[in-house]
This record gives sequence, structure tokens and C-alpha cells, in this order.
Amino acid sequence: MFLRRALVLALVAAVAVAAAGCGSSKKSNTSSTAAPSGQPGAGKPAVTLGSKNFPEEVLLGELYGQALRAKGYKVTIKGNIGATEVVDKALTSGKIDGYPEYTGIGLTAVAGDTKTPASAADAYNKFKAFEEKRGFTTLAMTPFVDTNTIIVKPDYAQGHQLKTIADFKNVNGTVKLAGPPEFATRDQGLPGLKKAYGVTFKFKPLAIGLQYGALDNGDVQTATVFTTDGQLQGNKYTELTDPKNVFGYQNVTPVISKKVVSAEGPAFTQTLNAVSALLSTEAMRRMNAAVVLDKQDPAAVASSFLKANNVK
Amino acid sequence: MIAAAAPVIPNFGGNPNSCVRRNETFCWDWVSSHWGSTLRPALIDHLELTVVAVGIGFVIAFALALLAYRYRWLETPVIGVSAFFFTIPSIALFQLLVPITGITRTTVEIALVSYTLLVLFRNTVTGLREVPEDVRESARAMGLTGRQIFLRVELPLATPAIFAGLRVVVVTVIGLATIAAYIIDQGLGKPIFDAIGTQFKTELLSASALAIALALAADTLLVLVQRFVSPWASARRAV
Amino acid sequence: MGEFGSAFTFMADNAHLLLTKSIETIELSAAAMGIALAIGLPIGVWLGHTHRASFLVINASNVLRALPSLAVIALGLAFLGIGFVNVMFALVVLAVPVILTNAYAAVDGVNPDVVDAARAMGMTPLEVITRVEMPLAVPLTFAGIRTAAVYVVATAPLAGFVGGGGLGDIIVNQPQYRLSGVLAAAIVIAVLALATELLLALVQRMVTPRALRGETEAPAIGPASREIVA
Repeated sequence: MFLRRALVLALVAAVAVAAAGCGSSKKSNTSSTAAPSGQPGAGKPAVTLGSKNFPEEVLLGELYGQALRAKGYKVTIKGNIGATEVVDKALTSGKIDGYPEYTGIGLTAVAGDTKTPASAADAYNKFKAFEEKRGFTTLAMTPFVDTNTIIVKPDYAQGHQLKTIADFKNVNGTVKLAGPPEFATRDQGLPGLKKAYGVTFKFKPLAIGLQYGALDNGDVQTATVFTTDGQLQGNKYTELTDPKNVFGYQNVTPVISKKVVSAEGPAFTQTLNAVSALLSTEAMRRMNAAVVLDKQDPAAVASSFLKANNVK
Repeated sequence: MIAAAAPVIPNFGGNPNSCVRRNETFCWDWVSSHWGSTLRPALIDHLELTVVAVGIGFVIAFALALLAYRYRWLETPVIGVSAFFFTIPSIALFQLLVPITGITRTTVEIALVSYTLLVLFRNTVTGLREVPEDVRESARAMGLTGRQIFLRVELPLATPAIFAGLRVVVVTVIGLATIAAYIIDQGLGKPIFDAIGTQFKTELLSASALAIALALAADTLLVLVQRFVSPWASARRAV
Repeated sequence: MGEFGSAFTFMADNAHLLLTKSIETIELSAAAMGIALAIGLPIGVWLGHTHRASFLVINASNVLRALPSLAVIALGLAFLGIGFVNVMFALVVLAVPVILTNAYAAVDGVNPDVVDAARAMGMTPLEVITRVEMPLAVPLTFAGIRTAAVYVVATAPLAGFVGGGGLGDIIVNQPQYRLSGVLAAAIVIAVLALATELLLALVQRMVTPRALRGETEAPAIGPASREIVA
């Protein structure tokens, strides 16, 4: 009796393992659809787009990918792959055909070029030149940037007449600033601010996202956050200008393999450029808010946005 | 850069006073709306990862155990190697395998399988060895061949030990598979990692609860299966 | 495979960083183990001595050892927030069942004849516990402590995900430390866990009364076999 039961069990177990092993198709973070004929994407080879492991990048991957699908391209979206290094490796090893990159980060982290660019266009051109040497190209960049920014509460700004970061020099007493830990040592952080504007702060390190709470309840007078944070929508806080561009340039541009760009045809590039043109700072803030604050699904948020702008 | 007219930004339906926005302890509306898109796929992936890892690990460990039962000298090296891998913390082992097998399910499965080997191997060998000698003698006296003794006496009597090992291993792998999500973005660890940045309580709680429930359900299931396979051994042995 | 070479370069260049983070991890583990021992040992020994509540102990420990460590940390994050305390709480929750169950089984399993003889000799209950039961319970109890310690050291890196410090900080910060840093931290974590296991195995051997040395390996069946790492 034992043997019979044991064999039954072994059989069930084997079937379960086989079903589990063979049945696993590509899961929810990737998806693709067929192309109805008559559209620019019909008959073109399939494309894989990737994105890094934070909400804004996942949103961008969905925006670009879904826009292409609406034009009939066969797109697989591999979201949330990993940090810049990891995604770049996926690109160069051919696992993905493209991904959205920030011009400043592309220069420092991917190209290894630490010289400060002179302008947004300069950053873009330098990055484009680097990628083209490797067999990739960059398409049109977005209007929005995602850099650090210094914020204060509106009444604090009015009370101390703060318009630009350098104005902190006129504030009496120590000013407490909250930011992510690495802000204390980065060039695009406290040292850079000191060098460019001669301002110093008492630094309170906080994990990303917690600065808003600290600013709201008065633990700190100012904070460094990101320009496209959802919490900034509707001008709830006042941003101080950074005329010397300590925080650099971080427009987004899709990096795509040259071979894929030519194989997919001109409508491919046009579609992506059209999406990029729509991405204003306020638009990104609202979408980030929906994903990060209201916990909505990035794919759904991207879809709503594209539909509202007749891309889908 | 193409200058363009301001885009239309739809209302995404966020409500500043919603349960989710205020990060209340448990927002049932989020759970029900995200069950199909987030929680259920994670649960299914998690199940798959576990079943494959335990299945493969069991086959390897059992084969090794049979060999070691026959050739005693094998026991020490096998235990040594499997104990070595068993002791390496999972987050470390996953990362160390990435340069070798990439950011794939394979990497995760290799690590998970290596965690199953020590306990399954040791329990199987010990279970077989602990069969009382006089039981074997009686079987021999009854005229059973070596193979028959193994299949009809030793293996059945070793079942409680093997199942004790299986229970530990299944529960362990379910736990480790949550960490695997950091590498491959699949499994119940995915919603946990997604929610950590914003400390989104609902997602943390629902994903954790699912992982714990899965582990307990698997443990209970194995107890029932063991009773099915070796009903004589229920009360006395390992709980 | 050259990535491993770069990991060693990272170690050489950042020895101080790795040392600081390792110490943070060790501190976290030690604190958690201390609390877990303070809770688990007395309760386990007492329950074993009085032979009470075995059903409750065994089933509770079955449930608790099934908890995925990341899930416990996630729950801690939801209720206790970010930081050292949250992770320490999670580690204590994960370590206590192992220590308690083993201490319980060890004391409960002491040969009743020996205990009776001790009582007959006029020992008080406290003397029975400290002079008879506990020394005999050392092998199995210490096996539990060793298991718990390795488990805690292995899980402590997860603190990096929730702002708890330690070597996990490096692993979750790939943008800053690059793959070479992540691999270096992973290697250090593995070495720490192995060192803890070997060191405690040595201590276990020294602490076990000579007469009981044959029993130092925990039996495969039973609570002590429930070795789990994160």
C-alpha cells in the first residue's frame, strides 16, 4: 500500500513540477500584441523596451511602449529591470533594444564623462555622440527634466524673499535642509551648492520621499527633492532657481539601437518623438503622483495619458 | 527638442483623502482592485518558483542520499558542500550568481535548489539509517531481497523523516523566494519591495499575509500528504 | 567573471567602508540575539522543566518558523517604520522560536530518572534546573542558539532595504556602489555567516560536557533540524 501511494504521489509531484516549469510564460511585466494591418507598425520586427527600477522610468517605458503598440508595432515592455548599470548591460548585450535615459546620468554613469555640460543641448549632444559610437542613437529629448531641486514652503519664501538658492545667504541663523544621504557628498549636492552659491545648511539625511513630511511639519526649513515628484504638483511648494545649474541637466531621451531604428521605419521615430514632446514637467508630476501617491498601476496611468492626448 | 503645446493631463482619479493617500493600515479597495494585476500574479509566480525548486532539489538530494546510504564515505563531503551553500545568506548568493547566470529565473532557481539540498539529503539518509536493525533482520529472515527490503521496509519507515525535511524545505524556500523578487521582479517579494519605498502599508500587509498564508498552507498540506502515504506513523514521530 | 575581480578591487579600495558596515551588521545581529536569548531561554527552560504546554509550544513554533523573513520585516516596516528598531524586532521574532523550541525540547527530554534521582537527593527545583537539567540540555539548546545566530546574521543584511544600516546598505545601493561593490558586500556577508557558523560550532564543542560530546550534532528529526536561513 505504501508503494502504491508513494508512486501516486511521485506522479502528482512530477506533473506539478512539469506544469510549473513549462507553463511559465513571460509574466505581467512584459506583454505584447499583434499588429492590425494598415498601420505603420504592421509587419515590422518586434521590439523590446526596458526601463530602470523606479516609478518614473517604469512610467516612461509604458508611455513609449504603448504609443508604439497603438501604431501597430509589436512591443515587449520589460519594466523595472534594475539600476542604470544593469539596464545598460541589458542594452549592450541585446536583451533590450532601447530604454529611456536621462542625459546627465547617461554622461556620468554610462559614458563616464564627469565634465559639467554647458547646457541642456550640450548634455544631449555629448550623450548622443557617445551612444552613436557604440551603435545606438538617441531620439528627441523631453521638455521635462528630472533633477534635484530645492524647495521651501511658499510663506517661508515670501517671508525671507527667497527666489534663488543664493538668497539663502541672506537668511539669519542656521537653515536645516533635508535630503537623501548621498546629497551630502555629491558634487550635485551640498558641496556643489557651497562652491557655486556660498550657502551652507545643516543637513538632515532622510530616505527619499520622507523629506516632504519633514518640511511640512517644520522639522526642516528646506528640502532637496526631484523636479518631477508627484508631491510638487499644483505648486504646493516654492522651487528656488538654480541659475548656475549645479544640479545639471537631466532631460530624458530614448536610447535605441541604430539597427532597430532603421528596421522599424520612420514612423517609429516619429511616434516616440511625439510622446516625448508631450512630457511636460506638470504632466510627469501628475503621473508620478498617480503612481506613487495613489498607488495606481503605471501601465494604466500611461494608458490614460496617451488616450487623453489622442496617441492611443 | 520639439516644442509643443501643453499636453492634456487627464484626471487620474486620485483623491487626497482616500485611504491609500493617507496610507491607512489596510485599504480593502486597493486590494480588490489590484488583486488581478498585482497580487494574484505574484502569488502564482511564487508558487511556481517554489514547486520547481523543491522538485528539483528533492530529486537531486534523494539521488545523493541513496548513493550515500550505499557508500557511507559520500556523506561527509555532500553534507559539507551543501552546508556551505546553505549558510550563505540568500541575498548574497543571488547577487553572486548574477554575473554567472544573469538576471533570470535560472539564477534564482539554482540558488533556491542549493538551499534545499542539505536538509533533504540529511533527513533522507538519517531516516533510512534509523530503521531499526531488528526490523531489517526480520525482513531478511522472511526471505526478502535487498531491493525488496529497501522498497517495502526501509523507505516507508524513513518517510516521516523525509517529510519532516520536506516541510522545513518548502517553508524555507517560500521564505527565500520572497527575497528573490529583488533580482527577478517576480513572486510575492515584488509587491513588498515595491511598497517599501513609500511604506505603503496595505501592499506590505497584503503581500506579507499572502506569503505567510502560503507557507502555512504548504506545511499543512504536507502533513496531510504524509498521513496519506504513511498513516501508521502519524502520532508518534516528528510534529 | 571579471566582475568578481572588480569586487576584490572594491574590497581593497573600500576596506574601511566594508568594515564599518560589517560592524553595523554584527551589532544588529548581536543585539537581536541578546534579546532573543533573554526571552527564549528562560521560557524554554521553564516550560521544559515543568513539561507543560508542549502542544502549544510545538504548534506555535511551527507557525512562527514558517514566517518568511522578508514578510516579517515588511510587517515591521508597516507598523514600526524605518530603521534599526524595526529590523531588530523582526530578527527577534525570527530567532526566539528556534531558541525556545530547542531549549524546551532539550530540558523536556532530560532523562526523567536522573531528575528523580536529583530530587531524591534533596535538590531544590532551582538546583535541579541549574545543576542537572541545564548541563544535560546544553547540546540541543546550543544547537538551537547556533541555528538562530546564523539565521540572524544571514537575515540582518535585509536591514538595508528598510534603512537599518549594515552591509545591506551597499547591496541595495547599486547606483552608488556599482556591481563591484554589491558583489564585494555579498562576499563579505557570506564570509560573516560562515564564520559565525564555524565559530559557534567550536564554542558548542567547548561548552558541551565531555560526557555528552557524542550528541553534539542535532538529530535530523525534531525541532533542531529546522535550520533556516534568510
